[in-house]
Formats: sequence, structure tokens, C-alpha cells
Amino acid sequence: MTIRSFDLLQPRSLAEASDLLLKHRDEARPIAGGTTLVILMKQRAVHYPYLVDLQSIPGLNRIAKEVDGIRIGALVTHRTVELSRLVRNSFPVVAEAFSTIGNVRVRETASVGGNLAHADYRLDPPPALLLLKSEVTLFGPGGSRVIPLKDFFTGMYETALEAGEILVDVKIPNMPTGSKAVYLRHSALSANDWPCLGVAALVSKENGRVRELRLALSGLAATPVSVDGLEFVRDCSFDDSVLDRILGIVDEQIAPFYDLRGSEWYKRRMARVFVRRAIAQLESQA
Amino acid sequence: MKREITLKINGREETITVEDADTLLEVLRDRFRLWSVRESCGVGACGTCTVLLDGRPVSSCFLLAVRAAGRNITTLEGLSDGQSLHVIQQAFVSQRALQCAYCTPGFVLAVKALLDEIPNPSDEQIREYLSGNLCRCAGYADILRAARLAQERQISKETAMPRK
Ligand SMILES: Cc1cc2nc3c(=O)[nH]c(=O)nc-3n(C[C@H](O)[C@H](O)[C@H](O)COP(=O)(O)OP(=O)(O)OC[C@H]3O[C@@H](n4cnc5c(N)ncnc54)[C@H](O)[C@@H]3O)c2cc1C
Repeated sequence: MTIRSFDLLQPRSLAEASDLLLKHRDEARPIAGGTTLVILMKQRAVHYPYLVDLQSIPGLNRIAKEVDGIRIGALVTHRTVELSRLVRNSFPVVAEAFSTIGNVRVRETASVGGNLAHADYRLDPPPALLLLKSEVTLFGPGGSRVIPLKDFFTGMYETALEAGEILVDVKIPNMPTGSKAVYLRHSALSANDWPCLGVAALVSKENGRVRELRLALSGLAATPVSVDGLEFVRDCSFDDSVLDRILGIVDEQIAPFYDLRGSEWYKRRMARVFVRRAIAQLESQA
Repeated sequence: MKREITLKINGREETITVEDADTLLEVLRDRFRLWSVRESCGVGACGTCTVLLDGRPVSSCFLLAVRAAGRNITTLEGLSDGQSLHVIQQAFVSQRALQCAYCTPGFVLAVKALLDEIPNPSDEQIREYLSGNLCRCAGYADILRAARLAQERQISKETAMPRK
């Protein structure tokens, strides 16, 4: 056996799972698809005497259409999102982001909630979900609360989850009318490696005039970044001076650091390339 | 914790006692001697440990065995009937799509999952689907040809013998 012995606890409800997490505190951790957790335990980078199995709780693996958007349960797999007709038709940028992750086996196993709760700084889904102003539902000892996904990421591998809390679902509001969105990822190593960086962009127009530009990024700071201060693009066209201003704003709001996939300098350069490319792609589709 | 689980391995029900910490790969190799299931990278990136879980490809190296309880597991050994090779295996042989063959079981199962899901994939879809399986002898061109040949033969077999 490669993994140190642990007990898999199988609660039947969120309340029971939350109680178990509170009872065992630092000795317990929720497990969803296990793609991150099992590997870390195999490598003996972490050990938890208790794993709380979220797959044994019914009802967390549904995608539901609502009037103002869709709700994706925490246990829905990446592959299910990628192939969902509902997601592909109404939120193609989300399907695209999930379809680029690693390889098909990982996507068959890994869950939406696990991806977000892992809170790595270079994941594919967060930019697309932040772009659409998604919210997450958290269930814990005090009941449920809903927070913007933006506030969920608090640091590298750190989230707003409190002791005993579980991510239950993510709600994606409908795309604004007249909008298009795109997700581009840059792989600096092999094609299905983790992204060096990811850029999601949304442009909405009314009678051919730009109403809004949104940008969300990953791999460019300790947490995914939702870019602020882009309101000035309203009624502008994306000419060189406007693009320069956008790229300047992006540059101020990112804080990339050196890793296996590039230096800070390289990532700042690539951020410019990919933001430009994303906007150009949306413009050419218009 | 130890627990008793039932696995449906290549069509046979097997009830065994496992540790919660056992991976499916460990159980398939150490308990059932299914040597086609191979560990290489150990982190889900290379595909040599691929098995099909209810028909879908997964990495058995990081799947806990208890997670497979009650589900259908297919390994390479389950593809052929023990007499003749499966059409995908035949295609790999005829295209010489193997050299050291360490990665071959994973590739064959990935092609099986692909063709079950998309019976008529584009070249791009084949490449994308198989991109998560690594071959260090770098026989990719032959492997892609084998996948295409298997697809063509499977289609012609199906038109010859209408599905029930
Ligand atoms: C080979 C490989 C390649 C990959 N490539 C990419 C890539 O290209 N792009 C990318 O974005 N990602 C990539 N990943 C990461 C992958 O997306 C994550 O491993 C996956 O999303 C984690 O989901 P899981 O369900 O397996 O989580 P688990 O491993 O079960 O859990 C991950 C963490 O989240 C916690 N957790 C899980 N669910 C919940 C919940 N509902 N509430 C609270 N806490 C929870 C766990 O306690 C654990 O800390 C790759 C992973 C592998 C193994």
C-alpha cells in the first residue's frame, strides 16, 4: 500500500458531513473526485486520518437550469460540464474551459467543487466562472451562505471555507444580452499540461457599440484575478490606444511569479499577448 | 479501515476485503494479477494505468478501490475473448503501433472508450482524446493510424452485423 492508512467516512447528508469535519478538525478533509487529494496522499505530501466522502451524499451531482442561470452541483465532473448540452449552448465559454483540463481521465474523475476548493493559482475553470460573476453556496455548521466566487479565493490554496464548511454548488448567471465570451489558455510545456496562464474575456455590445468588457485571469497571481476598472471601454472601439490602456490596467492588477512554466517577465509578456488575442478573437466573431 | 466490496471485473463479480487506502491499481495487480494495468507516472498524466469504469476511462493509479465498488471495471484482459484479439488490438498489431508495449494496454482502452463515445471521430477528436496517453517509444503516428483502422473496421463490422 502506497498511501498511509486512513478511514473513509461516508456521510449521507451535508449536515452529517459537516459534523464529521468539525469533529475531526485538522485530522479530516473532504474528498470529492480525489484527483488532487489522492495524489498528494500517495506522494505523502499530506496525510489525513479521516476522509469525508462527499460522493456518498446524494444530490450534489446535478446541473440544473434556473430562470436566471444554471446551478452546477459540487460533485459534477469536469467531463459532464464539458459535454452538457445546456452548458455548451448557453455558456460555451464554461464548457470550453472545462474541456481544456489535463486529460480525459482526469476530467472523468475530477469534480467542479474540488477544482474550486483546491484553489490552485493556475486552474482553467476559475477565469470563465469569475467572468460570468458566478456565486458559490457553502454549507456549514451555521447553515448555508452564498458568496461571490471572487470572494471565495483568498490566497494560494486558500479559500473562504470555514471549519466544517463544504462547497455545495456554483451558480452561473445568464450571459448578458448581446455578449460573447472566450477562454484562452497558454500551455508553456506540453499541450495537456496545467496552464501557464488562462485568460477569459467577455464583450457585450448594443447596436454595434461596446457596452462592457470583462476580463478574468489565472496563473498570474496567487489567486485568480477578476480585472477591475474597465468601465471606460463603453462606447469605445478596441483601437491601439484603448488596447494599450487595457493592457496597462491588466499589468497593474497581476502579480505573476516564477515557476516551472515561466518567469515573472515572461508571464507579464504572455498576459499581454493573450489578452490582446482574446479581445481580437471576440471582435472577429462579431 | 478495512471493508468488503464487490467489484465487477471484466464481467465477473469478485468480493474482496480492501483497505480504504488501496488504489484500484494495487487491487487489480496485487489481488487479481491483471498485469496489463501498469503504473508509470503515478499522477494521472501518462495513461498506462487506464481502466474503464462503467465504460469511461479513468486512471486506476489514483482511484481509491472503494470508489469502484459495485461498478463495472474493464481491463485489457477483458477485451478479447481469450481466443481472438479484439478489433482494436488487431489494428494495433497490423499497424505495428507498439514497440516496448508498456503503454499499449492504456492506449487500446482509450481507443475503446473513444469509439464507444464517438463512433466516427474526426482526426482532431482522436488526437485530443488520446493526448493524455504517453508513448515514450514515440509511436504516435502508428497509434493514430491504428485508431483510425480500428474505427473503420468497427464500423464495417457493425454494418455487416446489425446491432441487437
Ligand atoms: C494529471 C492532472 C492534470 C491536471 N491538469 C489540469 C489542468 O490542465 N487545468 C486545471 O484546471 N486543473 C488541472 N488538474 C487539476 C484538477 O482539475 C483537480 O485535481 C480537480 O479539479 C480536483 O477535483 P477533485 O474532485 O478530484 O478534488 P479532490 O482531490 O477530491 O479535492 C481537492 C481539494 O478540494 C477539497 N474539496 C473537494 N471538494 C470539496 C467541496 N465540495 N467542498 C469543500 N472542499 C472540497 C478537498 O478537501 C481537497 O483539498 C489536473 C490534475 C491532474 C491529476
